[in-house]
Amino acid sequence: MTLTTNLNLFDQFLVPKLLGMSLLIPAMLLTTVLIYNPQDRWLSNPLTTLQSWLIAKATKQIMTPVNKPGHKWSLMLISLLTMLILNNLLGLLPYTFTPTTQLSMNMALALPLWLATVLIGLRNNPTSSLAHLLPEGTPTPLIPILILIETISLLIRPIALAVRLTANLTAGHLLMHLISTAALSLMTTSTLLAGLTLIILTLLMLLEIAVAMIQAYVFTLLLSLYLQENV
Amino acid sequence: MAGPDAGNQHQFTGFQKYFNSYTLTGRKNCVIATYSTLAAIILYFKLRPKKVSSVTEK
Repeated sequence: MTLTTNLNLFDQFLVPKLLGMSLLIPAMLLTTVLIYNPQDRWLSNPLTTLQSWLIAKATKQIMTPVNKPGHKWSLMLISLLTMLILNNLLGLLPYTFTPTTQLSMNMALALPLWLATVLIGLRNNPTSSLAHLLPEGTPTPLIPILILIETISLLIRPIALAVRLTANLTAGHLLMHLISTAALSLMTTSTLLAGLTLIILTLLMLLEIAVAMIQAYVFTLLLSLYLQENV
Repeated sequence: MAGPDAGNQHQFTGFQKYFNSYTLTGRKNCVIATYSTLAAIILYFKLRPKKVSSVTEK
């Protein structure tokens, strides 16, 4: 028995409101209560140590290919990764709002960060940044067309970043909603089929946990790649 | 195979010295030339005087 009835499948993605106020920003920021603060001791408690170790591992993984001037971006990129992973994973809990299913939020993250990498490149290394728009060794007749194609691919990067994250999470949530609705409906008619559907739902849930972490990593990794080209 | 061409392997002369797809400067100049040509075409079509059709009375 459902406590609420949805008019359509996309009602689960509506931003929750309290007394008319949107709860999108608290939903994004309150995940930080799960992050332990480093203590003033030499050795922190086990969970803080584990968290610090994970963050150090992720930082090393993402920032090693970036050269030294780009290391200024470490805090930005790792905090972005942490926020996205937490938002994505917490959204997998039942009846929990996932901020990263909102295209507006993902565009607000992707567009300024991508633009920052492009402007840094144009300011510090204008020759190298402009030269990236033409692959090395291009045959002469293809040069103008390829420059236009590379420009379009450059301009489409922020849209691709945002839509990739939004679409992956939205699709996953929708699938879980559909399969769980199907399992619930099949309970009364065929218990065996309902059981099989529940097994599929469990496997999908495991996949969604992986997708949540992978998509956050891909978002951050692509931004670090764009940074590598320009810094 | 890796990294931008320093221009040592290719000895370009004349026009190709400044516009080629191998050296960093050559690629940059090709990009700037393409953008300038595109901007010039757009400006030409925007700023050219429009033909005013004369209305003839019967």
